[in-house]
Amino acid sequence: MDTIKLYLHSMRMLIRSQLEYPASFILQTIAQLVMEGGEMLAVILLVDRFERMNRWEAGDLFFFFGIMSVTFYLTECFGRGITGNFPYLIRTGQLDTFLARPRGILTQVLCSAVDPRRITCIAVGIAALVMGCHLSHVTWTVLKAALFAEAVVCGFFLLLGLFTVEGIFCIYSVKSVELVNALTYGGRSACQYPVDAFPRPLRVLFTVLAPFALTLQQPASVILDKPLFDGPVWTAFLSPLSGIVVFALVWLWFQRTMRYYRSTGS
Amino acid sequence: MQYRGAVLGGVICQVFFGLILIAVYRTLYAGKPQSMPLERITSYVWLQQAFFRMLLASDPDLLDKIRTGGIAYDLCRPLNLYGFYYVRIAAQKLTGSLMRAAPMLVFALLLPKGWGLAAPATPAGLLLAAWGLGLGLLCVSALENITMGFTMRTLDSRGMQAMLNLLMMIFSGNVLPLILFPDSWQKVITLLPYAQLLDAPIRLYTGEAALSEAPGMMMIQLGWTIVLTALGVLFWQRNQRRMEIQGG
Repeated sequence: MDTIKLYLHSMRMLIRSQLEYPASFILQTIAQLVMEGGEMLAVILLVDRFERMNRWEAGDLFFFFGIMSVTFYLTECFGRGITGNFPYLIRTGQLDTFLARPRGILTQVLCSAVDPRRITCIAVGIAALVMGCHLSHVTWTVLKAALFAEAVVCGFFLLLGLFTVEGIFCIYSVKSVELVNALTYGGRSACQYPVDAFPRPLRVLFTVLAPFALTLQQPASVILDKPLFDGPVWTAFLSPLSGIVVFALVWLWFQRTMRYYRSTGS
Repeated sequence: MQYRGAVLGGVICQVFFGLILIAVYRTLYAGKPQSMPLERITSYVWLQQAFFRMLLASDPDLLDKIRTGGIAYDLCRPLNLYGFYYVRIAAQKLTGSLMRAAPMLVFALLLPKGWGLAAPATPAGLLLAAWGLGLGLLCVSALENITMGFTMRTLDSRGMQAMLNLLMMIFSGNVLPLILFPDSWQKVITLLPYAQLLDAPIRLYTGEAALSEAPGMMMIQLGWTIVLTALGVLFWQRNQRRMEIQGG
């Protein structure tokens, strides 16, 4: 409870400090809008040309894009400490100061940054979701809404876990390892489309190793009434938990790795 | 060549992105084949990914100098500032992208048909594409110097620069190949300066543009390069006359 209070307090402070330069903030926020708008435009144009992708129609594709985009940028916004300058903290030895404080390392890293500029990206994602719901005639129920919320929360933790892997590699190698981007940013680019669009190796990668398919897409497809993987309804609530499992595993791995941490500072 | 590990990691990442994009287009094609052969799209994706570095803003030194006031020393030097940075940016883009492009293109050529980079439509097309890529490089360097001009004015590079760079990503065909844009849009966007960087050479390579179209395309490339360079020179001259130097 204490940790959550601490987190909220740092978020409030950080957001306030970012808003100190409103002109720069607004320009950058608009830049984010152009970026995510461009991604969405690509999907719209593809749908316009090809009409459908396997059994997924226009609305379904917008919905998949939307849920990915909302989750990814919520993580980029509120998990910025881990998704952003975590490798930098390790490279410069700033992580040392965290070791001296009576709180968990990951908690402190998480509290160290926020990125409110992403709000426009989240807005684009929401627009895509609304369009998707409208075109695919989604009938919302309480159960579906709960499933959606669960998927986004679990996706948040999945992404935090994957970004933490980058930090872990960085502790071993000091250099930041671009390769991990394949799982994080690559996962985002790939899994804005339903995973059954991909050949088997990629499908396995995004179902088992970085389970975007289980965390985000299975719930999304159930909400669209076209389940990606067959199974009784309750399994749809079970599959997003894989995101939490990944986070937990990575967290344990991180704790072990910290024993090897040798500071780069002087 | 000092950071071989980083380059290799970057290349592998870029290849992975390329494979993802191609997988998506392949699936879409399976659903509704288009008049344009699939190999053209896969080649397009690989060439875009290979020369992606050319589009990225590449000179952090100049940004630092503007921010810290170090640019004052450059102003004292007896050289044409615009020309100096133009050549510098062009050289950085060329070496950065060639180093990454070479291994990627070899890999892409080895992939099976329908996944990889197809051979050029005609030998002449390849030569023209290489020539066009050179013109594209001149054009993109001119564009970047204009962006730098804005930075000299505002000192904060992030907002304006991010915006111009994003427009570049979209309209140069990096997010979505320009050949997949609606046909009516293509008539307009292929005329924009952004399309001259990579899209025009790639069209010549894949045979999307016939050889007879090449002179016209090159004229557009050359025209934009001249216009953008002229604009950049004027902008920089104005900036230099009333430059505020940071620092103390």
